[in-house]
Amino acid sequence: MNVSGSHRFAAPRASVFAAICDPATLMAVIPGCEAVQQTGPAAYEGRIALRLPGAVGSYRTSVRLVDVAAPHRAGMEGDVVGAMGSIRGRADFVLRDAGDATELTWRGDAVIQGPLARLDSRFAERLAESLIDQGLRALAARLELATAPLATAPLATGRATQAITEGPE
Amino acid sequence: MTVTSYFLPASMPDALALLDAHGPDLLVMAGGTVAMPLINEGISLPRLVMGLRHAGLDGIERVGDELHIGATATLTSLLEQRESILLRSAAARTGSWSIRNMGTVGGNLFTPPPGGDIATALLALDARVVVRSARGSRTVPLGAFQTGFMTVDLRPDELVTSIVVPLDTGPVTFLKVGRKHANTPAVVSIAIHLALDAGTVTAARIALGAVGPHPLRAPRAEAAITGARLEAPTIDAAAAAAAADSNPFDDAVASAWYRRRMVEVHVRRALTELAARTTGRDE
Repeated sequence: MNVSGSHRFAAPRASVFAAICDPATLMAVIPGCEAVQQTGPAAYEGRIALRLPGAVGSYRTSVRLVDVAAPHRAGMEGDVVGAMGSIRGRADFVLRDAGDATELTWRGDAVIQGPLARLDSRFAERLAESLIDQGLRALAARLELATAPLATAPLATGRATQAITEGPE
Repeated sequence: MTVTSYFLPASMPDALALLDAHGPDLLVMAGGTVAMPLINEGISLPRLVMGLRHAGLDGIERVGDELHIGATATLTSLLEQRESILLRSAAARTGSWSIRNMGTVGGNLFTPPPGGDIATALLALDARVVVRSARGSRTVPLGAFQTGFMTVDLRPDELVTSIVVPLDTGPVTFLKVGRKHANTPAVVSIAIHLALDAGTVTAARIALGAVGPHPLRAPRAEAAITGARLEAPTIDAAAAAAAADSNPFDDAVASAWYRRRMVEVHVRRALTELAARTTGRDE
């Protein structure tokens, strides 16, 4: 599985880099992430619960930061293991200044094993890119919140979208 | 691992209680047209499954100027209702009779592209999704409910219980391009809902299916026709804008390049057809 993407953050490069390497921030932005804990100097473990159409389940995740050159680039090696199979691979991201903003480009390469591997690979790639894109959008929202004046800042959330109304129907 | 428990709740509160108890481990199944192929092929291996057939969520009711569609109302029942022409047209072009008898309106919101023709029509009608849990309920515009490819704004204890659809007040059209005439996945599906005043478009909703991670609005195409008359240069500009608004993908049905070309060709055809129909009405 080969996936890639990019995202623009309205925040300085150093704060984007710090956020990506912070487990608490990662937990808030990864869709379905229930827990992240640091298990080593640059190693994290977590649990992700995904409810996808036709498939539910929890996945144990471990991630290791490698080849870190702050605040320019870093790699993440890791695996995601659950009842539907496992995904093992590596993602590399590069940060560049773009005026006051930061441009992040990323590229991932992973091997899928188990029942998941029966999915059309293009299908799995679209799902992976979509989940990562949602995580980056949520991260961008958090970073913009952190740099916005408090009086105008909306309520902090790790969710990619907001409900418009709440209450009895 | 195989299914160890299959729950068939007899009411919505029973279904919500089961979700509250089992959360992300419970696979919710309405018609089963998405889940069963994955289960039969051994890709999805749920331990707990909840069927919604007896939960009483299959009604379709007109309330004022809106249609309240239960999440498990079948696509066949959408075909049989007479309140929304656009939804009837979309249902007629979705799946086969057997799929329409099983597939549900709520389930269609979860169907990955190139599926999701009904969701495309619902987006053009500015539908809202009613989501409930044991804690309460909330209503989310469909455009915000679908967050990515196969992902939606739904917490582990929440259930989609109904879809509220403002009835179409102006001209509408649904157009689906596939490799075959019937029972075919979409190259692109297009749903359009316009408001017109003396031939001038005062509001437009153009929704595109199968050309993005989920059904999308085409905001630049909508802007191109809003405030204008549906004449050839305006329609050409809107069709080109719709192609730019789309975010297509490659799959076994069509390439991203072909999908984008078909968006332009068929948005032009759909708007030209609407122009001919509304001009006839004015005269």
